[in-house]
Amino acid sequence: MKFNLEGLTVYFPYEYIYPEQYRYMLELKRALDARGHCLLEMPTGTGKTITLLSLITSYQLAHKEVGKLIYCTRTVPEMEKVLAELAELIDYRAKYLGRGPGSNEILALGLSSRKNLCIHPRVAEEGSRESVDAGCRRLTASWVRERAAERGARGGEGGAEEGGSGGSVADIELCDFFEGHERAGVEALLPPGVYTLSDLRDFGRKRGWCPYFLARHMMAFANVVVYNYQYMIDPKVSQMVSRELEKECVVVFDEAHNIDNVCIEALSVNLRKQTLEAAGRNLGKLSNSIRRAREADAARLQGEYNRLVAGLVAQGALRGGEDWLANPALPEDVVQETVPGNIRRAEHFMGFLNRFLAFLREKMASPVVTSQTPQVFLQELQERVQVDAKTLKFCYDRLSSLLKTLEITNTDEFTPIQLVADFATLVGTYAKGFAIIMEPYDERLPQVPDPVLQLSCLDASLAMKPVFSKFQSVVITSGTLSPIDLYPRILNFNPVAIQSFQMTLTRDCLCPVVVTRGADQMPMSTKFEMRGDPGVMRNYGRLLVELSAVVPDGIVAFFVSYRYMDQIISKWHDMGILQEIMQHKLIFIETQDVVETTLALDNFRRACDSGRGAVFLSVARGKVAEGIDFDRHYGRAVVMFGVPYQYTLSRILRARLEYLRETFQIKENDYLAFDAVRQAAQCVGRVIRSKADYGMMIFADKRYQRHDKRDKLPQWITRHLKEAHMNLSTDMMVHVAREFLRAMAQPYDRGAVGKSLLSEAALAALDATGGLDGAIASGA
Amino acid sequence: MSAVERKDEFELDGDDDDIDENELRRQEEAYQRQYENEQTWDQLQEDEFGNLFVDKTAEQRARRKRLLSAAQSARIRKGMIRYLLLVVDMSRAAKAQDLRPNRLACILGLCRSFIREFFDQNPLSQLGIAVMRGGLVEKLTDLSGSPEAQVARLDAAKLGAPAGDVSLQNALDLSVSVLRSLPPYGHRELLVVFAALATCDPGNVLDSVRACKENNIRVSVVGVAAEVYVCRRITEDTRGSYGVALNEAHLEQLLMAHTTPPPATAAQAKAELVRMGFPQRSTEEASSAVFVGLEARLLSGSYTCPRCKSRVPELPCECHICGLTLISSPHLARSYHHLFPVPSFHEDSKERASEAAAVLRGQPAMRDEVPTSTGLYCFGCLREVSQPGAAGQLHLTLRCGQCKQVFCFECDAYVHEQLHNCPGCEFGGT
Repeated sequence: MKFNLEGLTVYFPYEYIYPEQYRYMLELKRALDARGHCLLEMPTGTGKTITLLSLITSYQLAHKEVGKLIYCTRTVPEMEKVLAELAELIDYRAKYLGRGPGSNEILALGLSSRKNLCIHPRVAEEGSRESVDAGCRRLTASWVRERAAERGARGGEGGAEEGGSGGSVADIELCDFFEGHERAGVEALLPPGVYTLSDLRDFGRKRGWCPYFLARHMMAFANVVVYNYQYMIDPKVSQMVSRELEKECVVVFDEAHNIDNVCIEALSVNLRKQTLEAAGRNLGKLSNSIRRAREADAARLQGEYNRLVAGLVAQGALRGGEDWLANPALPEDVVQETVPGNIRRAEHFMGFLNRFLAFLREKMASPVVTSQTPQVFLQELQERVQVDAKTLKFCYDRLSSLLKTLEITNTDEFTPIQLVADFATLVGTYAKGFAIIMEPYDERLPQVPDPVLQLSCLDASLAMKPVFSKFQSVVITSGTLSPIDLYPRILNFNPVAIQSFQMTLTRDCLCPVVVTRGADQMPMSTKFEMRGDPGVMRNYGRLLVELSAVVPDGIVAFFVSYRYMDQIISKWHDMGILQEIMQHKLIFIETQDVVETTLALDNFRRACDSGRGAVFLSVARGKVAEGIDFDRHYGRAVVMFGVPYQYTLSRILRARLEYLRETFQIKENDYLAFDAVRQAAQCVGRVIRSKADYGMMIFADKRYQRHDKRDKLPQWITRHLKEAHMNLSTDMMVHVAREFLRAMAQPYDRGAVGKSLLSEAALAALDATGGLDGAIASGA
Repeated sequence: MSAVERKDEFELDGDDDDIDENELRRQEEAYQRQYENEQTWDQLQEDEFGNLFVDKTAEQRARRKRLLSAAQSARIRKGMIRYLLLVVDMSRAAKAQDLRPNRLACILGLCRSFIREFFDQNPLSQLGIAVMRGGLVEKLTDLSGSPEAQVARLDAAKLGAPAGDVSLQNALDLSVSVLRSLPPYGHRELLVVFAALATCDPGNVLDSVRACKENNIRVSVVGVAAEVYVCRRITEDTRGSYGVALNEAHLEQLLMAHTTPPPATAAQAKAELVRMGFPQRSTEEASSAVFVGLEARLLSGSYTCPRCKSRVPELPCECHICGLTLISSPHLARSYHHLFPVPSFHEDSKERASEAAAVLRGQPAMRDEVPTSTGLYCFGCLREVSQPGAAGQLHLTLRCGQCKQVFCFECDAYVHEQLHNCPGCEFGGT
């Protein structure tokens, strides 16, 4: 339908719209009007994506000054889903706006790494992302192509047709698709439309153009770009990809409940012993190639030195078509200076890196846990090996310049030394918001030495700051953002709109309950003093047994950690509880091995499909909790055993908590409870993926009864948490479950859905009266 | 890592005792209100004279709604001759006591009345029984047309205790083997009363579903616990129905819904002639007693097959010699009412009453009017009915759209569910 939203014509591809979608659009539109950022929470299953796309593309149409829509997703499948919905929307719009030139057609594309886009028959077969990247560079680096061109020109008299084919010249192999794209130059354009990754690959194959470079090139012309979070947040990637974007863009982060963790990961570096050893080998190799280069072609190294003296690096003179190493620090933190004199010569730089590496090795040999701020670390560095912060800062740029000068293409081999340089630059650049933590062994396995040197970012706002300051409107949205007021504080920004929307339902298809005690009235909790208690473990076991007897098909259970899950499963085995569960349902367990878990999930689904029924035991914060849906019969009940606090003895968490308290005045407890409850909400939210779905949500811990936990849950859950369900014992819970599941099994009156939907006419009336909330309240 | 260290760090869990006592009590009470109350006296109401009564109009309305929807489907072609296999779940789940006295007793009782009702409504049809227990399916009776022999087998004491798992696949396979050889004009149906929440199968249950589909077997499931995906899938694939009972009364409704014939499928839509025999009844004098039927019992009074002249004890049945279907004409007539149902009555209103009064005035009084306080009486049972829209209405008042006579709710139900003729219309000759 097409309707008027406070003066904006919105094209929405469905006949009806949910009231919450309408409200969401309204809020979003006001934020765009105000040219500010916003933070919106709306439960999954309410069509968030289409709402966002529909409003923003309509807004673009009405306001030509608004730039691109940059839609950031977490995974490739999500990206494909967004593009599929967008394609539907555009098809619908074409009915009103027509097709062909001049009809405001949209160009939308997904952008991903070379691994997902490469169509070169050999390179695309490579396994990892790094090896595909390196394989691509081997064929497309500027010096490889130059050399090929030279070779081609020399043999040009003899075989002109060889050069004309654009493919491999003599013994130097080039990529046909890249050459094809280069030859087409600025003429290489995508016609308007919506392109998923596979569409791009198909198009590339048809035209003989490289889809990756085509997509990068077309970003400048696209109206909608869908890509991964990293491309926006990680400074290394965003500098390459997102630098050219204009200020007027609208940036959307979908499923952004963990955005602070993504930010932190983007700026954190972990060094292990193996990394340092490999980095040492890299240095040896580099020194060798420097020596060889000096013998063969001293002029090149001299040329580089001259460039560095002239300070050309900063102006980007070195950037060719293959800008593949970008600074890990954020753009505005990189001081526009020339590379300091002591590392301009390649040999000097090698020496410098060697010294730095030796220092790191020495640090890692220490048998005790240490935690330092960057200042302390730098001071120590200065005293011991005479390396100063300013030099460190340029480490990364200098290394990338060197790798280019040496014409090294197999970059995947040099990842370790790049990591070290990454580390050096970050330490050199930031004095605040970081911690350097050295742990000689894993806390859980103190007898096995496994030293890790961590440069940990403590401040999520660092990585987000350039995004907020560069772009006019940033939209952060997810199904679970509660408590929503904490996000602006930890990301340090001022949103113009903060809103949490509820789901309008025609029946009570959510049934959250808090189970506080077992049938024997003993309290249940994963509190530290209680979690080892056999009585508590038995009660948890009984809960699952009883539940598997009354809930059909799939049940998902989440534990607070792998360790606790292992512990309790072995106890359950001893008590015979697992066997009892097996009488009703099969049991599958998530492990840290991705392949194993995928297999378990597959079989879990099969068991649910064939009516055998199954229980999936999983871990909060694990892969399953984050990305796998247990919709429909795959999850008729979800149990959260305990409150999933982070591992509070972790040094990194300690450092971060301290930082949060000092910088943002967020109390440790508040943050920990916030983090735990959002994880719990994330876990239980896995079972409801649409309005026709239904499921039990069982919070099995005494502590959920307390207000400080309960009130942090998203509103769309707490609204269904009835007073009668807040303090249940196991047997009471079974009773509730029986009643709920019976009621939900009754035929679902699809006609009643109409009550929670707004038609075009209803919207027109709404717009005329101008009273949204009043009209909806009376309608509902 | 020690407990002491962990505890000191952050007061994560706070004090346990700081939850308000009042709040706890409120939560407890809310739970009791919702789940533990069975205060039947709450339903009692008092009218202006101080008489106590239970307001049943809502319940009656719901029942009428079902009747109405049944009447609307009358236009659809239906299968008159049904072959139904009833499979009862006797797994460990049938022991649960959420239906009183327990699931199995409740199910068996309802199945018995279901069987009687089934033969009453479908005299031309046949029914067989099987139970699922310990992962197997045991066939209790073969398909046959006599209700009492079937009902006698459904006795909890004779059946033994429920145990083990359920296998839907075995039940489906049994239904295929039993129903496959039946004549194509008959409707093949499998009705499963399902207490369990999981099925433990020897192979892939979906293969058996495919076999059912190929053999035109309509699988319906009545669940007693919760919606199971595989049941939903099976019933959707085979065009059956699936319902989950909320309580005993609802379970009865769901079961009884299966007594009316389902709409015919496309495969059976083409007209086909079925050869049937209408046997003659011999006299019932003791002197004329002969050996009757397969078991050769000495009976006076039997039916003689018109084709092979063998004697059978009761109708409807299949001749044990020549296999001809033997029925009597009342059976055929009774099967027909599904095709020509009595039009549903409407709830009476002031306008309808005045309109009816005008029509009825012209007609001669059929009998002496029964004096009642409201002046209205039911045409069926001559009891008093309340005025439409009156306060404290005890029962619904209904009026036939054709003869304009008034009926009470019970008579309405009797006319539509059992009699299948409107006495007003028959009497008035309209």
